[in-house]
Amino acid sequence: MIELTSTPIIILAILGGVGVALPVISIAMKERGTVASYGIVTLIALFASIGYVLYQLALDHVAPAAIFSQDVLADDAFGSLFAIAMLIVAIFTTVGSFSYMKNKANPSVYFSLILLSTIGMVLVAYATDLVMLFVAWELMSIPTYILVGFLKKDPISNEAAIKYFLFGALASAIIIYGISLAYGITGSTNIGEVIQGFMVLDANLIPIGLLAVGMFIAGFGFKMGLVPFHMWLPDAYEGAPPTIAALLAAGTKKAGFAAALRVIVMGAVALSLDWTLALGIIAVMTMTVGNIAAIMQKNLARMLAYSSIGHAGYILIGLSIAPFSTIGIQGSLFHILNHAVMKGAAFIAVAGIVTALAVTHIEKIKGLGRRMPITALGLVISLLALAGVPPLNGFWSKLMLFASAIDAGTVVWWGPWLAVAGVLNSALSLAYYGWIIRKMYFEGETEKRIKEPRAIIAVMIFSIIFMVTIGVYPEPIIQFTEFATPAINVAFTP
Amino acid sequence: MATEIIATEGDAMFAWLIWILPFVAALIIPAVAKVSKLSTGRVAIGFAAMSAISAAMLFPMALEGHEIHSQVDWISAIGLKAGVLADPLSIIMANVVGWISFLIICYSTGYMKGDKDIVRFWFWMMFFIGSMQLIVLSDNLLQLFFGWEGVGLASYALIAFWYRDKAKHHVGKEGRTVLGIMEYYSPTHSGMKAFIMTKVGDVMMLAGMFLIFAFAGTFGFKELLADTAWAVNMSAEGLLVPAVVLLFGGAIGKSAQFPLNEWLLEAMTGPTAVSALIHAATMVKAGVFLVARLGPLVFALGAAGILVDQFFEIIAWVGAFTALLLATQAMVNPEIKKVLAYSTGSQIGYMMMALGIAGLSEQFVDGYTAGFYHMISHAMFKASLFMAAGSLLHVVGSRFMTDMGGLRKKMRKTYAFMWAAGLGLMGAPFITTGFWSKDAIFAAVYESGNEWALPIFIIAVLTAAITAFYTTRMMGLVFFGKESKHIEKMESEGHHIHDAPRSMWIPYGILAVLTIGIGVIGFSAEGGIHELFTEYLDESFGIQTPHIDVEISGSLGFLSGLNPIAVGASLVAFAVGFGLGYIFYIGRWVDPVKFINSNIFFYALHKVILNRWYLNAMIYWGFVIAPLWAARAIWRYFEKTAIDTGMNTGLERSVRFGAKVVQGTQTGVAQSYLFVFGAGLLFVVLILLI
Repeated sequence: MIELTSTPIIILAILGGVGVALPVISIAMKERGTVASYGIVTLIALFASIGYVLYQLALDHVAPAAIFSQDVLADDAFGSLFAIAMLIVAIFTTVGSFSYMKNKANPSVYFSLILLSTIGMVLVAYATDLVMLFVAWELMSIPTYILVGFLKKDPISNEAAIKYFLFGALASAIIIYGISLAYGITGSTNIGEVIQGFMVLDANLIPIGLLAVGMFIAGFGFKMGLVPFHMWLPDAYEGAPPTIAALLAAGTKKAGFAAALRVIVMGAVALSLDWTLALGIIAVMTMTVGNIAAIMQKNLARMLAYSSIGHAGYILIGLSIAPFSTIGIQGSLFHILNHAVMKGAAFIAVAGIVTALAVTHIEKIKGLGRRMPITALGLVISLLALAGVPPLNGFWSKLMLFASAIDAGTVVWWGPWLAVAGVLNSALSLAYYGWIIRKMYFEGETEKRIKEPRAIIAVMIFSIIFMVTIGVYPEPIIQFTEFATPAINVAFTP
Repeated sequence: MATEIIATEGDAMFAWLIWILPFVAALIIPAVAKVSKLSTGRVAIGFAAMSAISAAMLFPMALEGHEIHSQVDWISAIGLKAGVLADPLSIIMANVVGWISFLIICYSTGYMKGDKDIVRFWFWMMFFIGSMQLIVLSDNLLQLFFGWEGVGLASYALIAFWYRDKAKHHVGKEGRTVLGIMEYYSPTHSGMKAFIMTKVGDVMMLAGMFLIFAFAGTFGFKELLADTAWAVNMSAEGLLVPAVVLLFGGAIGKSAQFPLNEWLLEAMTGPTAVSALIHAATMVKAGVFLVARLGPLVFALGAAGILVDQFFEIIAWVGAFTALLLATQAMVNPEIKKVLAYSTGSQIGYMMMALGIAGLSEQFVDGYTAGFYHMISHAMFKASLFMAAGSLLHVVGSRFMTDMGGLRKKMRKTYAFMWAAGLGLMGAPFITTGFWSKDAIFAAVYESGNEWALPIFIIAVLTAAITAFYTTRMMGLVFFGKESKHIEKMESEGHHIHDAPRSMWIPYGILAVLTIGIGVIGFSAEGGIHELFTEYLDESFGIQTPHIDVEISGSLGFLSGLNPIAVGASLVAFAVGFGLGYIFYIGRWVDPVKFINSNIFFYALHKVILNRWYLNAMIYWGFVIAPLWAARAIWRYFEKTAIDTGMNTGLERSVRFGAKVVQGTQTGVAQSYLFVFGAGLLFVVLILLI
C-alpha cells in the first residue's frame, strides 16, 4: 500500500479538495466572487503542492527513480521532477489568468478545471499502473477540452476544442486498446509486471506486444505533438485562450513524455526491438516539420505552437538514444523542465499582449519593447533560451541532448546525425525567434509605454531569473535530473 | 611555517563574497534606482566596501602563507568545476583591487554628480569590479575567462559611457591627421576600438586555453600543476610554448602591450573615474595578474626540464619595448589624461619585463616580487594621479595641459597630492614606493645573468629617465608658469578656480599619502613580500630559491642588500629626467618649442613620437581600411553573384517551399487530420515490425 503522506496522495488531496470546492463556493456565494479571489485560492493550493514536493525531496522521502512499484503510484524522483515542472506551469497559467480572465464568465469553473487537469498531469507522472495511468490521463485531458473551448462565443475557440477533443478521444481509444493488448498477453496492468511479462513473451505473441507499443507511441505521441500525430496541435493552441495554450504546450505535453518514458522506453527495451531508430526518425521529422512550419507563421500563438512541436523533437532525441548514452534521458528530463518554463513564459507573455493590446498578429507587435518593456524582455529571454543561446538554461539541456546523440555514435551510426539535425533546426528556429525580436525592438517608433498587467510582470520576472540563473549555474538541476533518471540497464537485471 | 590548505567555511565564504558582492550590487542598483536615484551611489559604496573588507579579512591568512581552495560543481555533466583560489598572490591582489576600487567609487560620487545616466554608470562600475575580482580569485582558466570577458564588456560600456559623442568628451585634436587617419576620436568609436583590439588578444587566449585543455583535460591551476604529464606531451608535439604564448596574447591585449597598445589612449574618452579604475585596479592589471598567475606554473614546468625559456623571453622583450615606446610618447602629448595613459602602458611594460626576467633567472622570486610590487605601488600612485587629473578637468573644463598652467596657488591640495603621487611615478629616491619597486626591477634585471639582461637593463633605465622627465613636464605645464588664456577667460567670466569638493580630493589624497607613507618603509615592505613569495613559490610550485649570501656592502647601513648599480642607475635616471624637465617646464629657462625647432633631428624625432610612431595610423590602414576595401570587393564580386543569387535565393526558396508544403497539409479539415493520424499509427507499427 502506498503511504497516505506520499507526495501524489497529498497533492491529490490538496488540489482535488480545492478544485472541487471552488465551484461549490462560487454557487454558495451566488457567483459574487472576483477572479482574483478564486485565482488566489488556486495559487495557494498550487504553491502548497509544489512546496510539499520540494519538502519531500529535501527530506529524502523520495525514492530515486523507481520505475517499478507494486503500487499504482510510486513516490519517486522521476515523478517529482515532472510534478515540479507541471506545477510551475499551472502556477504560470493561474497567475497569467488573473488579468486574462477579468470580465469573463465562470472564473471559478475555469480555475477549478485548471486544478483538476493539474492533478491528472501530476498523477500521470507518478503512475506505475496502466489503469491508473489511463485514469490520470483522462483526468488531465477532459478539463483541457473544456478549457480550450472556454471562450464559448468565439467560433475559433470552439473549433479548436472540437478538433482537440476528436483527437483526444481517438488517442484515448488507442491507448486503452494498447493497454488491453498488454493486459491480454501478460495478465497484469502493473507496468513493472507488464514489462517482466514482455521479456518472457512467447514468440507467437511478440507481434501483439509490438502492436501494443505502437499504440502507446501513437496515443502518447498525440499529446507530445510528435509528427505525424501533431495535426490538431496548431489549431488547438491558436484557438485556445493563450493561458490555456501555455498549460497545453508546457504542461500536458510533458505528461505525454512522462508516460512515454515509463511505458514506451521500458516496454520496448523489454521486447528488445529496434525501436530506437523509429523514435529517432520521428524525432527528426518532428523537429524539422515544427521549425519549418513555424517560419512562415504570422500569428504568435501559432508560431509558438509549431515551435513546441520542434522542441518535442529535441526531447525525443534523448529518448531515442536512451540505451546508448547515459546522459540521453537526463538531457531529456532537463529539457522538459526547461521547456516548461521557457514555453510557459513565452505563452504567458503572449497572454499579456492579448490582454493589453488584443493582438496576436506579428505585424501588430511592432515597438513592443517600448510599449510593454518587461513583457517584451521576458519574451525575448524565453525565445533566446528556446533557441539555446548561452548562458541561458536552454543551452545546457540542448548541449546535453546533442552531446548524448554524438556519444551514441559509438554504438549506432545515426546517433550523430540526430545532433546535426538538432543543431540545424536550432539555427532555423532563430530565424523566426529573431523575427519576433526584431519586430519588438527595431520597428515602430512612436509607441508609448502602456500599463502592463502586474500578474504577467510577476511571471516574467520569475522566468527571467530562473532562465538566467539556471543558465549560469545549472549544476543543481543537472544533479536533480541525474537523481531522477531511471537506470535502464539496471532495471533489467532482475 | 608550512603552507597548508585550510578552508574553514567562514574564510572560504569571504573568498567567494569578494567577487559576488559587486555583482549583487550591479543587479540591485537598477532596482534601487526605481525607489531613489540618489541612494544608488550609497549602495555602490556600501557594496564596494563590503567586498574590500571581505578581502581584508583574508589578509592575515595571506601573511601566514595559508591558502584557500574551495570548489563547487558547476556543470558536472561535462566535468566543470567553479572555485576560488585564495593564495597570497590573489589575496594581496584582491586587496589592492578592492580598496582602490572603493576609493574610486567614493570619488565618483563627487565626479559624476548630476549625471543623468548615473544608474548605468554605477551598474557598469560594479560589474567591472566584480569581473576583475572574479579574474583574481578564479581557480581555473575558464572561470577566469568569464571575468576576463566581463572586464572587456564593462570597459567597452564605460569608455563609451558618454555615448552622445559631445565634442568635449572626444580625445585628440580635431582636424589633426596622421598618414590620412584622423587622430580625433569620439567615445563610441573609442569604446569599440578598445573592445575589438582587446578581443584580438582574447581570441588568442581562448585558443591557448583550449589547446591546453585538449591535452590536460582540465582548466584548473591546481590540477594543471598536480600532474604535469600534459606539459610533457605538449612539449613533445612542440605545442607547449605556442599555447602559453597564446595565453600571453590575452594579457597583451588587456594590458595594452605592444602591438595591441593603441586602444589605451582612446580609452580616455570615458569618465576619469573609469580611467582611474581601468589603469589602477581593473582592466590593464588583469593582464599582469594573468602572467603572475601563470608565470610560476610555467617556470615550474621549466624546472622539470621542459623548455619554456622562449615564453619568458617574449614577455620580457614585449614589456621592455612597450615601456620605452609608450614613455617616449608621453613626453610630447598635450592632453593630461593621455600622458597618464601612456605612462600606464609604459609602467605595465616594466611589470611584464620583471615577470619575464624572473623566468629567465635563477632567482625566480626576485623578478616576480619586483613585478608584483611595482604593480601595487603603481596602482596607488596612478589611481591618485588619475583622480587628481579628473579634478583638474572638472575644474578647468579642458583636457589640454596648455589650457591649464599656474594652478599651484589655486588648487593647493591637488598640487601637493599630485607631487606626492607624481614623485612615486618618477621614482623619487628613498621616500616613494615607486622608487623601491622600480629599483627592485632594475636589480632583478641586472642580476638575472641572462644574455638579454644588459640591453633590457639599459632600456629600463632610459625609460626611467624619460618617465621622470614627462612627469615633471606634466607638473610644470599644469601648475607652473603663467595662467593660460583659457583660465584667464574663465576667471574673467566669474568662475572661481579652487580645489574639487571633499568627496573627490580625499580619495586621491589618501593614495598620495600612502605612496609616500609606504615609500618611507618601502624597502622593508618589499623585503616582506619577497619573503612571503619565496615561501609561496616553494610551497605551491616547488620553486626553490637558492639562498645567496653575497652581502653587497653599501656605503649606507640601511641600504645593505641593495644592488649598488641598480640604485645608482635609478638615481641617475631620476636626476637626469627631473633636471631636464625642470629646465624646460618648471624653471622655464629654455623654451621647449624653440629647442625642438632648432634642429632637424629633434624636429623629426618629435614628429615621429607625436604621431605615435605611426603605429596607430598603420593599424588603421592595415586592419580597418584595407579589410574594408577587401570586404567591398568580396561583396561586389562574390557575394552579390555567387551567394546572393545562387545560395541565398536558393536556400530561401527551398525553406519557403518546405514551409508551404507543411502548411499545405494543415488544411484545417478534421477528417484529413484524422487520416494522417491513422496513417502515422500504421507507419509506426510498420517500422517497429521491420
